[in-house]
Amino acid sequence: MDNKTGLYICTGCGIGEAIDADRLIDIANEDFSPSICKTHSCLCSPEGVESVKADIDAGSVNKVGIAACSSRVMYDVFDFTIPTERINIREQVAWSQPPADRENIEDDDTQMMAEDYIRMGLAKTDNVLPLEPFKSEAEYAEAILVVGGGITGMSAAIDASRAGYPVVLVEKADELGGWALKLYKKPSPPPHYTKISDPGVKELVEDVAKASNIKVYTGAVIKEISGAPCMFDVTIQKGTETHDERIGAIVLATGAVPYDASKLGHLGYGNIPNVIDHEQFEAMAKKGAINRPSDNKRAGCIAFIQCAGSRDEDHLNYCSATCCVESLKQAKIFKELNPDGQVYVLYKDIRAHGHYELLYKEMQNKGVIFIKGDIDSISENGSGGIKIDTKDFLSQTDITLDMLDLVVLATGMVPTTSIEIETEKNQEEDNSEKTDAPAKDAPLENMATGKIIASNILNLNYRQGPELPELKYGFPDSHFICFPYETRRTGIYAAGSVRAPMDISQAIDDAGGAALKAIQCVELSKKGLAVHPRANDISYPDFDMSRCTQCKRCTEECPFGAINEDEKLNPLPNPTRCRRCGICMGACPERIISFKNYSVPLVGNMLKAINVPEEFDEKPRILILACENDAYPALDMVGINRLQLSPWIRVISVRCLGSMNLIWIADSLSAGIDGVLLLGCKHGDDYQCHFIQGSTLADIRLSKISETLDRLALESERVRMLEVSITDFDKLPGMIKDFEDTLEELGPNPMKGF
Amino acid sequence: MGVRVNPNLIKDLKKFGVKDSTKCFNCGNCTAVCPLSTEETPFPRKVIRYLQLGLEDSLIKSPEPWLCYYCGECSTTCPRGADPGEAMMGLRRYLTSKYDWTGFSRKFYTSEAFEIISISIVAILVGLAFYLFHGEVITDRVALNSFANNHVIEIADLIMGGILSIILLSNVFRMAKFILGDKLFKIPIPVYISEIKNLIIHTITQKRFSECEDRFQWIIHLFIMTGYASVFFLVVVCIRWFQRDEILPFFHPIRLIGYYSTCAILYGTTYAMIGRLKKVKPVYKNSHPTDWMFLILLWLTTFSGILIHFTRLLEMPLSTYVIYVIHMMIAVPMLVLEVPFAKWAHLAYRPMVIFLTNAKAKAKEAGIITD
Repeated sequence: MDNKTGLYICTGCGIGEAIDADRLIDIANEDFSPSICKTHSCLCSPEGVESVKADIDAGSVNKVGIAACSSRVMYDVFDFTIPTERINIREQVAWSQPPADRENIEDDDTQMMAEDYIRMGLAKTDNVLPLEPFKSEAEYAEAILVVGGGITGMSAAIDASRAGYPVVLVEKADELGGWALKLYKKPSPPPHYTKISDPGVKELVEDVAKASNIKVYTGAVIKEISGAPCMFDVTIQKGTETHDERIGAIVLATGAVPYDASKLGHLGYGNIPNVIDHEQFEAMAKKGAINRPSDNKRAGCIAFIQCAGSRDEDHLNYCSATCCVESLKQAKIFKELNPDGQVYVLYKDIRAHGHYELLYKEMQNKGVIFIKGDIDSISENGSGGIKIDTKDFLSQTDITLDMLDLVVLATGMVPTTSIEIETEKNQEEDNSEKTDAPAKDAPLENMATGKIIASNILNLNYRQGPELPELKYGFPDSHFICFPYETRRTGIYAAGSVRAPMDISQAIDDAGGAALKAIQCVELSKKGLAVHPRANDISYPDFDMSRCTQCKRCTEECPFGAINEDEKLNPLPNPTRCRRCGICMGACPERIISFKNYSVPLVGNMLKAINVPEEFDEKPRILILACENDAYPALDMVGINRLQLSPWIRVISVRCLGSMNLIWIADSLSAGIDGVLLLGCKHGDDYQCHFIQGSTLADIRLSKISETLDRLALESERVRMLEVSITDFDKLPGMIKDFEDTLEELGPNPMKGF
Repeated sequence: MGVRVNPNLIKDLKKFGVKDSTKCFNCGNCTAVCPLSTEETPFPRKVIRYLQLGLEDSLIKSPEPWLCYYCGECSTTCPRGADPGEAMMGLRRYLTSKYDWTGFSRKFYTSEAFEIISISIVAILVGLAFYLFHGEVITDRVALNSFANNHVIEIADLIMGGILSIILLSNVFRMAKFILGDKLFKIPIPVYISEIKNLIIHTITQKRFSECEDRFQWIIHLFIMTGYASVFFLVVVCIRWFQRDEILPFFHPIRLIGYYSTCAILYGTTYAMIGRLKKVKPVYKNSHPTDWMFLILLWLTTFSGILIHFTRLLEMPLSTYVIYVIHMMIAVPMLVLEVPFAKWAHLAYRPMVIFLTNAKAKAKEAGIITD
């Protein structure tokens, strides 16, 4: 296809005042000969957009370059059917540089920057190929599989079915209900925070039964899941029979189990018969009386020990968020059954989230005594009661609780995904893994894949392992705050207490969220579009298999496990699993992976389009590769806030720093560019990378750049990677200035002019 | 083995007016906002924690309730409506009953019926005494000293004053022992002596109260206190100059002091009673029966005193004698019961606690005692 490029330069929003637009047209015509080159005083106005559309409709152009504002704005206005490249000369030039000096325009830095961006934009436009959405020959399924038939699972199933999607609900036990079946009462959801109510399992079971499009498998487990969103093949094992289902997307709602109290011997569990846990209390309450297990005598005085095994390095190192309210609820149950009874609550911090504060207050008013302090000792007092020694933290007084009839341990939640279950299958896999474990780049691989615990829940037939990678403590979420429900396997959304510790009312909301995510995944995948975070992206990676060396880096480093392998170790991409981050592109040493609008040569051409002045001009050049998720918007924010950026920088937006190929650094330094600054998201424990491991991988890859630089006889200080979040925009000019100073000390790149 | 937690104490304290302290979740806003709380003696949070856990021994040893003047800032700030100011007030009542070895105070505070009956009994006894032992009733002129000889009254006054002082001082001594423990005797006498000046200043000016947010409350309190103290001085010590048949010249010091006391008490008590009725400030939001009894008795005493003054000036002998008896039937029970056993006792406890804590701090600073 012949390139017929149209370049449209907007002179509104102060661009025309800051830059000589006519000169930009001359530059474009000189270097790239586009078919059409125009300026418009307000390109985003209906007339401006119409003028572009008219050229497209007339067939005069088949690619468009819009030199105007940032691609982060007006994307709905400049939405054309043909490849469209946005060239940002507003935020990052007109708004963050001094206006060009028209008297001396040839030598003006602002004008030179705009000219470079025009060249880079056109270099990209020339190399972009028309996009077509991915479409598989295979049959596309819409059904939502919900794994786990507890409150969350049933709620998700009902929500998805009401939205018109067929649902397959798989429950391990013989009846639906899950954990809530064991409950006597639950704390009421808003607005009756101080009331307690029925757990509400019955109503949900009835709703599931009423829904015509929910297929329920009880007493069943998932034997295997293979495929990708919209084309998952799920094998369900029910007793000796197996059933096959074709599934669009999956909601994981297998919940959590209480922490094993028998590990809490230091709190008396197992040694003292009258020390029980929440679960046992609930069972007693269901029978209508709270009695001492030792002699079945009615309990008159009870104590709850909060954080039993929680927020404790030796047990669960986290807060389960619900145990405080659970104990308050059980205290209320106890006070209702036994109004004269005395209740103590021993706690670290009462975390009665939201308005459960009111339940806390009510229980205080009812005479429950709350004591903040660590348990020094717990023992039987010889007359059938239990004695607890503790130190009241608030008054610094050693105190003793004597004659306790019952001690209830508030144990935390353990997600079902964190419980390793030995099955024949994963043992086999373990053995086989050991035989051909890749020793080379092993740490890199672990970083990218994340720990996978064989919990025998999903049994994914994925090259990367049978379950979801954990985020922390065995929870399979990918980011608790920014991307709820998103796991690191596309099309599989976690909800309820398997995702994060939460109570019933939160879990019901969570179920709705995950069900919507699953539906969104089905709808986008059907159209061949990407899901979060590049939602609606039409591009997807192509693999030039003729050049593949079966090094397996792409399969290992993809944070989402999108790529399988055949027997010969050839990568088998699953485009509906792909999040379009390009990390595989950054990984591939043979550079065989590319998108139609984003590839190694494409970015290579862009950076080669930068005009590097001679050494004696004293105009250094700094290439910035900025992550499109935080760093690039932060650079825009610099302009929006009218702060000044260095005149030497040239910015290329990348999908993720993980997609960066080291050749770009080598190429730019060979071209005489003085330094390369990589701006990515925070990595490590509290990462902010939208693709989980992208910035971590970039960091690891960069540590290997010194070889390349040595070959070019260049200093490694010429390349710097920095973490930037969008709120850091005010620090950005300083960060860039600092890099500039370092480069000045090093002197100009000796490769200039070669 | 630590101290046993006693969940019943809080139920007991309810009778003393401690109401909402169970709601406290120990955030400490009250202590942070209190202008009088110091690092050495932080309050009210600490004592509220003690009472939540029922740590009776720790409570009895606490000087903090007496260091509070109840400006109510803590109750306004409390995020939970736990009313720490009222808890401190209730604790002062509770501690008064704990310091009192006769056990009378406790009854007085915990039973409204007991309070009314005991006041009535003393009033009737006073009335009866006058009925039986009054002097000559002269009807052609006002001759109060013939009806009730001021020398006899003076002797009765001094006996009463002596008994009250013995009871009150013994209670003050008990309080000092509770608060300082062994340290009471370890602190050298010179340290105590050096603090006497402060004790007097605090007693007269109550200058700590002026550090509270609401300074007007300090003024009102000062009116009531000085009015009461000066009239107490007049009727108990100076009765032979105060109660006399010939009327003193207007600018005679005794007469002026009498007018000041009357005005100060009347203004202070009326303000406080209206405040309590309208609940205008945190300090007036909760009223224990003894609070009302104290204000009503004081107001009535003053009011009947004014009436006597007028009937005398108007030369109405019989009315004077009758109102005089009524005046005594109000004033005597108030003094006999309130001074050692109830609200009036704080007149002694509060400056004494400041005195003792200052002495303790001084001794500690000098390295004589350790914490």
